[in-house]
Amino acid sequence: MIQQSTQPIIHFQGIEKSFGGAKALSDVSLTVHRGTVHGLVGQNGAGKSTLIKLLAGLHRPDAGQVEIDGEAYDHLTPHLVESLGIHFIHQDRLLVPSFTVGEALFLGREPRIPGTPFLDRRQMQRRAQEVLQRYFGLSLPNSALISQLSTAEKQIVQITRALLDRPKILVFDEPTAALVKREADLLFTLIRRLRDEGITILYISHYLQEIEALCDVVTVLRNGRHVATKPIAETSAAEIAGLMVNRDIGDLFPIREKSPGAALLTVEGLSATGRYRNVGFTLYRGEVLGLTGLLGSGAKDVLRTLFGLETAEEGTVTVAEQAPWRASPVQAARRKLALVPEDRRRHGVALDLSVSENTTLASLPRFTRLGLVDRASEAAEADRLITRLQIKTAGREALLRTLSGGNQQKVAIAKWLSRHSDIYLLDEPTVGVDIAAKVEIYALIAELAEKGAGIIVLSSDLPELIGLTDRILIFFRGEIAREVVSDTITEDALLAEVTGSSEATRYVG
Amino acid sequence: MLVDTALLVPASARADTPSPQKTTVSQGLAGIALRGGALAVFVTVFVLFAFASPIFLTPFNLGNILAQSAISGVLAIGLTVVIIAGGGNVVSGGIDLSLAANMGLSAAVYAALSQAGQVDGVAVLAALGTGLAIGAVNALAVTWARIVPLLATLAVMNVVGGLELVLTQNTVIPAITPLLESLSGSGPFGIPALAYVLLGFALITAVVVQATPLGLRLYAVGEFPEAARASGLALKRFIAGSFLFSGLSGGIAGILSAAYLSGSTTGAGELLLPVVVTALLGQVFSRRLVPTITGTLLSALFVGVLINGFQLLNLSSTLVSGIQGLLILLVVSATTLLRPKEG
Amino acid sequence: MSAVPALGAERRLVEAASRLALPVALVAVFLLFSALAPGFLAAANLQSVLVNNFTLLSIVAVAMTFAVSAGGIDLSVGTAVDFASFAFVSLVLAGQPVPLALAAGLGGGAVVGLFNAVLIAGIGISPFLATLGTLFIGRSVQQLLTNGGNPVYLPPAGVPESFHLLGRGSLAGLPVPLLIAALVIALAAVILARSRFGRVVTAVGIEAEVVRYSGLPLKAHLAATYVLVALIAAVAGLVLTSTVTVYIPNSGNAFLLNAIGAAFIGTTLHRHGRPNIAGTVLGVLLLSLVANGLLMSGLNFYWQQVGTGLLIFTVLALSFASRKV
Repeated sequence: MIQQSTQPIIHFQGIEKSFGGAKALSDVSLTVHRGTVHGLVGQNGAGKSTLIKLLAGLHRPDAGQVEIDGEAYDHLTPHLVESLGIHFIHQDRLLVPSFTVGEALFLGREPRIPGTPFLDRRQMQRRAQEVLQRYFGLSLPNSALISQLSTAEKQIVQITRALLDRPKILVFDEPTAALVKREADLLFTLIRRLRDEGITILYISHYLQEIEALCDVVTVLRNGRHVATKPIAETSAAEIAGLMVNRDIGDLFPIREKSPGAALLTVEGLSATGRYRNVGFTLYRGEVLGLTGLLGSGAKDVLRTLFGLETAEEGTVTVAEQAPWRASPVQAARRKLALVPEDRRRHGVALDLSVSENTTLASLPRFTRLGLVDRASEAAEADRLITRLQIKTAGREALLRTLSGGNQQKVAIAKWLSRHSDIYLLDEPTVGVDIAAKVEIYALIAELAEKGAGIIVLSSDLPELIGLTDRILIFFRGEIAREVVSDTITEDALLAEVTGSSEATRYVG
Repeated sequence: MLVDTALLVPASARADTPSPQKTTVSQGLAGIALRGGALAVFVTVFVLFAFASPIFLTPFNLGNILAQSAISGVLAIGLTVVIIAGGGNVVSGGIDLSLAANMGLSAAVYAALSQAGQVDGVAVLAALGTGLAIGAVNALAVTWARIVPLLATLAVMNVVGGLELVLTQNTVIPAITPLLESLSGSGPFGIPALAYVLLGFALITAVVVQATPLGLRLYAVGEFPEAARASGLALKRFIAGSFLFSGLSGGIAGILSAAYLSGSTTGAGELLLPVVVTALLGQVFSRRLVPTITGTLLSALFVGVLINGFQLLNLSSTLVSGIQGLLILLVVSATTLLRPKEG
Repeated sequence: MSAVPALGAERRLVEAASRLALPVALVAVFLLFSALAPGFLAAANLQSVLVNNFTLLSIVAVAMTFAVSAGGIDLSVGTAVDFASFAFVSLVLAGQPVPLALAAGLGGGAVVGLFNAVLIAGIGISPFLATLGTLFIGRSVQQLLTNGGNPVYLPPAGVPESFHLLGRGSLAGLPVPLLIAALVIALAAVILARSRFGRVVTAVGIEAEVVRYSGLPLKAHLAATYVLVALIAAVAGLVLTSTVTVYIPNSGNAFLLNAIGAAFIGTTLHRHGRPNIAGTVLGVLLLSLVANGLLMSGLNFYWQQVGTGLLIFTVLALSFASRKV
């Protein structure tokens, strides 16, 4: 335990939380001290967001309690949290797009012209100017609407909104994910000043350099467990990365014969202004190719372009020996490409369609006789895939809504197995998937590759990438910065490549 | 004009951002163009009519336009408040299909009570009470029973329309009362009293919606419920309140129509879709392309000018609905095509 | 997630009850009027319910069901009815053969559908606003075509016998309009529930983006849906015209609100609350029976609309309230 000169303000004690059998947090105890900037780090699925949602009163712990300012609570509610002076700066900015900055800042506590029921717009504008100027040195025109602001400016407006409530604790959840360096630096200056004014900051980030530069103390979570809490002065980014990395995950990944066959998909000189530049690579039969990069690095845009959801300005995509083509999702599916999108619940599966209907959605022609769906063969196909992928469901007629995240994801993949796809584009395939389903999905990917399919996995889960893929393309600033053979890179080294810290620069955007 | 991109950092430092600025700037410009275009069309039409007909610009005729627009204007303003609080998605968001029927029933209640010898005060209270009661049923159906507004108000529209038929036996109930006479007469400067009612109603509503915290919160509730909830606002109260207000508007419009037509007449339901279009069209007259009271008033007057001008020029006023339809499609196409693609 | 079993059972019961709202209402209305209204049960009356109240509305409501299935709505179904009627009457008046005139009628409806398809699938306007615009433009177009809205009558003498077949004919003792409605209903039920097209349309209504991400042509399906809606509505226009031998401008709009009501009431019948043809047809039947029963029970004619409205309201309230999470 680290001794701190100030007294504790948040204390988690023995927190346990499971979702449908999957443990998200086990026996987490953690103390945050008043007036410090406390970093919280961990890989995807480490339990950071679950812990924050507990603090926000959005989840209820299965066991354990939270002490705020010496007062113990079994669970929190959003209302209680607000009255305790805890504010959250979320990634999704809750600001009304058609409002002016002043209106957005003061919604819910609008100043009135004294003695009247009317809005004091002038005061709203003046105070908005004043606080933005004071905290950020930022000057926005009075008439600017939220929808016209940059992402960074919206973020700043949201922070300012929280500051107006004179919070005791501010929680930042990946606040710099959409900021450029100068903006992030401004934010850090502000955070330090807030700390000096006595506000406690809980700071969640992927960027270890930020944590190192900004935080007083850092806590590392791994697999739902509290691994370490250390004063930043006594540690380093390298040590933190080491603590984050999961050493006992190796056996999750199936052993696979890695013998790539003929070229299946060739990408040459793909460029799109502001998204990616001169991207080229080849995917071979039987290969699992990894893509990774920070938000905005271009990796996701390239994947979406392959499936025809975005368009490239230059370059060609060639499938097998066919002519290069301009993709649309219809064309892509015809060329046996399959996309399992990241936003499963909006793009991957229809929650209010049944398992069977989702499974055959992309392959309906196979089950159609004279324009009518042949229910018997459709049912047989659904049952076959339910068995093959071990999809846990009450039956093929159950709505997807009733399945767990992992099983929904299996259906999203089953849809393309049913279409006999050749090239699988998997976008963050195991986000929100419990560990048992994860292992099954990994095994399935390996099996597909062994049968001659080509698979591209876009993931920010580094152990997953290393364990699953043959090669990894690291995207940085819209280009393929490096290609590495998965067997030859450690997680720490990969993390350094992805965050660009090996170049001693930081790029986000 | 509105957007200064170099707000936070010098432009050079931003060079590496995949900039969303370009789209918002062009969108902002397009919005201004759209609004300017709408106003330009209004002014052009106005000027054309002024040249084409010597009567058009007379105070008497202009007053007439206001009076003729009074009923649909009041209804459209009521609907605008529902759209503000319910959001722009017409199927799942704010819509009140019962407004025109509400007006019909309120007018019938007023006329029937007057004919039965009740004094104006009682009849007025009954008419407004009818409107409010209809609004309350809508409010309950939407917030408590959670029926989507489109369906809830559709069913209420049927009931209310039926009650009007039961009450009037599908006949005209004449009513001549001191109040109606003064409403259908002229006010100061020889301008019809109905014109003053419309402007007064619009002014009061505009002040509340555009200049009080209540109004600001209504917009937040409709446009971004999560943000409103995060600001501690009770969403259901605002939505229920908006339906009560539109119900009251229906009651007021009922009294106005009884004055304009000297009693209650059948066929109030015909007014529904024109009122919906008027309220939706109003959005082009606002700076931020959102529903506003002043925008709706302008839109109601625009439609009034079209109808009046066509009458004066002996042109078929049947073109009016076509022009409304075209305008709404043009406006919505423009905004849809300008919207940045979902990424 | 891990609800107590008893609670789950209760929940299932509530769900089942909400699905029963429509059939129960139908039986209740039937029994009520059988008891209250002498003559309601007479075969002649029931047939008149079917021919006069049910036929045209059921066709239009079936059309509407496709738009609702695709997650939209079509406020211009009445416009398609009118355009079909106008084209049909105009060609007969011009002395063209009836089959050609019928085809032209379908074409007239299709024009409306294509216009909607361009707006909704092409430009991406929301169906409510797009079809509202179509409705308004359609009004002016009809008035321009008819000198400000004058009905187009067919001279009783000059009309070929075959003209009346659709509206007034009978086949094997059954009225042709009813047979046409039955055919439309049966075809629509097969298309929506059993065909590949119907499956994709249903998926579009549930989560359009998933359809696109599954490599299916989303826009083509949206466009085809609105053309299909207009074509079915056009059939109603042809039957209507053949019955009354006149084209009255802007008369088709009368079906609009009841068609929407029936399609949405019908969703309460489906296990997952989806729009479905059987539900829509039962909804139309309910509306028709109430209209006729109120008439037969000697109640004031004008109570019909109140009764219908209250009934729609109750069915919706019951079904939505029981769906509360």
